[in-house]
Amino acid sequence: MNHKKGIKQFWLLFTLVGLLMLLAACSGDDTTEDVATTDESTKTDSPTTEPATEDGLSGKLEIQYFVGGYGDEWWKQVIGDFKKENPNLEIVEHAGPNINTEMNTRWISNDPPDVVYIDGAGANETQMIAEGQLMDISSFVKDLKMEDDTPLLDSFISPAEEIDGGKIYSLPLVFDTWGIWYDAKWFKDNNWAPPTDFDTWLSSMEKIKEETNISPFITTGQHPQYFERGVLNPAFAAAGGEEFLNDLRNGVVEAWQRPEALEVMTKVQKMADAKVVDPGFAAYNHTQSQMNFLLHKNAYIPVGFWLPNEMKNDTPSDLEFGFTPTPMNNPGEPLALVPDIRTIAVAEKAKNPEAAKAFLAFIFTEKYAQDFAASTGAIMNLKNVDLSANTNVPEFLTGINDMINNPSAVKLYKHHTPNAEEQKIAVEITNEIKLQLIEVLLGKKTAEQFIDIMTKKSQELRK
Amino acid sequence: MAQTAKQRYLFLAFCLLPTFLLFLVFTIYPMLGGLYYSFFEWSGTSSVKTFIGLDNYIKLWNDSIIKQAIFNDFFFVFVKVIGIMILSLFFAVALTQLRIKEAPFYRIVFFFPNIMSVVVIGILWQFIYDPSIGLVNSLLTKVGLSEWARPWLGDMTWVLPSIAIPAIWAGIGLFMLLLMGGISNVPKSLYEAADIDGASEWQQFWRITVPLIWPQIKTSILYIIITSLNGSFVLVQVMTGGGPGSASEVMGSYLYQRAFEDFQFGYGAAIGVLILVVSLITVLISQLILKKEKVEY
Repeated sequence: MNHKKGIKQFWLLFTLVGLLMLLAACSGDDTTEDVATTDESTKTDSPTTEPATEDGLSGKLEIQYFVGGYGDEWWKQVIGDFKKENPNLEIVEHAGPNINTEMNTRWISNDPPDVVYIDGAGANETQMIAEGQLMDISSFVKDLKMEDDTPLLDSFISPAEEIDGGKIYSLPLVFDTWGIWYDAKWFKDNNWAPPTDFDTWLSSMEKIKEETNISPFITTGQHPQYFERGVLNPAFAAAGGEEFLNDLRNGVVEAWQRPEALEVMTKVQKMADAKVVDPGFAAYNHTQSQMNFLLHKNAYIPVGFWLPNEMKNDTPSDLEFGFTPTPMNNPGEPLALVPDIRTIAVAEKAKNPEAAKAFLAFIFTEKYAQDFAASTGAIMNLKNVDLSANTNVPEFLTGINDMINNPSAVKLYKHHTPNAEEQKIAVEITNEIKLQLIEVLLGKKTAEQFIDIMTKKSQELRK
Repeated sequence: MAQTAKQRYLFLAFCLLPTFLLFLVFTIYPMLGGLYYSFFEWSGTSSVKTFIGLDNYIKLWNDSIIKQAIFNDFFFVFVKVIGIMILSLFFAVALTQLRIKEAPFYRIVFFFPNIMSVVVIGILWQFIYDPSIGLVNSLLTKVGLSEWARPWLGDMTWVLPSIAIPAIWAGIGLFMLLLMGGISNVPKSLYEAADIDGASEWQQFWRITVPLIWPQIKTSILYIIITSLNGSFVLVQVMTGGGPGSASEVMGSYLYQRAFEDFQFGYGAAIGVLILVVSLITVLISQLILKKEKVEY
C-alpha cells in the first residue's frame, strides 16, 4: 500500500515538475542578449545608475536595436568602442530581426531598455511619443557639438524633429530613403540612360520593353507600401511640396481634391496603361520582386537604401547597383526624396539615462558615419561627410551622397510626425492607399476613381 | 481491492488537473484577456490603455474589410469541406474496398502534407504558382493553353481558389485516415449480404458505408470548419498577405494586420472575439444540420 502511495506521489511530483518546466520554457526569451566585453572582466554587480567616474560611465546600459537589411556590424563596432571608453559600464545588447516584438513585454511593463533604435516591424516612433515612452532630450542635444564645433542639430541631413513646441524625443540616425534601383552596367551596355523625370522614365521603360520584351517595372504587390513610399510619396512631394504630402497622409480632404493629387495618380495610371508594370507584381513579396530585378526580369524597382546589402548573397557578380530618386517629377524640376529617417532615442523610463545620452553623443561622429556607409551601404544622417575617399564605400553610395548634398539636383521633403489623433487617420489613409493602389497598377481602377475613393475616405475619417 | 472514493478522486485529479491547468493558462486566460482588451484602445506596445466601451465593436460593424474577410473565410470553409470530404472519402473507399496492393504506400503519400509545416506548404505552392517560373503556368504553356496562364496569387478573381487548392491538398490525408478507420469497422458481412441481394457498389456505398461512418464524416466536417476559420490565416499570410488588395483577406490575417502592423491591439482583440463568435455559431449550426440518428445494422 505504502509502495503504491509512493508511486502516486512520485507521479504527482513528476507531473508538477513537468508543468513548471513547460511554463519556464514558455517564458523563455529569444532575444539576442550580448554583453559587450573588453579585456577587462565585466562587472555584473555594478549599480544600475551611477555618475561618470574617472574611468567613464558605470552601471548597466541596455541597448535595443533592430537588425535588418543593414546587418549589425556597425552596431557591434560602436558599442565595442563605447565599452572601451567606459570599461566600468556593462552594456547589454538586445538585437535581432524580431527584437521589437521580443522586447514588447518590457515596454508594456514599464521596464524598457535605456536606448532604443527605432526601426523595423513592430516599432513606431509616433506611437511611442504619444504614449510617453521616449524621453525629451531637447536640452541635452542642444548643447551637443560635432568634432568641428558645429552644433549637432545643424549637422543632420534631415533635421531632428521638434514637436510640442520644441521638444526633441529622438535623433535622426540613419538616412534611409526610397528610390528607384537599376543595373547601371546593364544600362550602360545597352545605352539606356537613367531617367531624370517622369517623361524620360516612361519612355525609358517603353524602350526597354520594346528591346528586351520584359516588363521593365516591378514592385511587390504583397507589400504595397513599397510603391507607396518609393513612388507615390516622392511624386506627391514633387508635385505639391512638403505640406501637401503631409496633408494627404493625414487625410486632409482639400489636399486629396487638389489637381496635383490627380496629376500624380494619372502618371501611375499611365504606367499601367503602357503595360510597363510586371503583370505578376501583385503576387510577389518583396524578396521575390527583388530577385526578379536581380535576374534582369525587370529593369526598375522601388526599394530603400538597404537593397544591395539585403540581397548581397544573391546579387550576380556583374550587376552594378544604380540608384536614382524616384523620377516622378516634371521635366526641369529637381528630383524628390522623402527620407524614411530611422531614429535613436532614450526611453523615458531609462534606468541609466546618463549613459544612454552619452551613447547618443558618442555615435554621431564623421568616423562612425564613414564606418556606417562602409558596413551597411547606406548613409548616416550627417551632412558633409565626404565618402569619395573611402574605398570601402560602394560606388553607388558616393554618387547618392553627392546628390543628397546638392540641393539643385535633389530636393528633400520630410514626413512630419502626426499627433495622436492624426496618427489614427494616417493609419487608415495608408491602409486605403495600399488597397486601392494595387487596382490602379493592375489597370482595374482609374486615377479619377482612386482620388474619388481617397477623398471620400478622408471625408469619412475627418467627420 | 476496491478503490476508496478519495483514491478515485485523486486518480481523476491526476489525469485531469494538468490538462485543465494548461487549458486554463493557454486557452481560457487568453480568451478572457482578448475579450477584456477588446474594450480598450490600446496599441499593444505600452502600458497606456483607454477604456472605450463598445467602440471597437462599432468600428468592426462598419468595417468593409471585415465583411469581405468573413465572406472569404466562409469561402474557404465551404470549398474545403466539399473538396476535402469528397477526395478523402473517395481515397478512403478506394484504399480499403478496392484491395489495392500499394495501399500502405498511398496512405503515407496522402498523409505526408499533414506532417509538413503549413508555412512550408505555403512557400512551396507560392513557387508552384509563380507567374514566371511556376509549375502551373509552365504546364499550361506546354499543353498549348498559354492564354490560361496568369499570376494566380496576384489575380483578384483567382487568388481565393488558388489558396484553397493547397489547403485541400494538405487536408486530405488526415481525414482519409479517419474515414478509413471507420470503413474498416463496417462488418464485411453487410457488403456480402448486399451483394447477394443484388445491390450495386454505388448503392452499397450510399446505403451501408456512408450511414455507418457518419460519425466520422460529421467529426471531419466539424473539424474542417473549425480549423478553417481559425487556421486559414497561416496559408493566406504566407502566400498573399491578404492581397492583392484585400482579395484574400481572412479574419485572422486582418486581425494580425490591425493588432501588430497598425498598432491597434484593442481592435485586433475585437476581431479575435468576432472569430470566436462566428466559429461557435457556425459549429452549432453545422451540428444541427449534421444531426442524424446513429445507424446500426
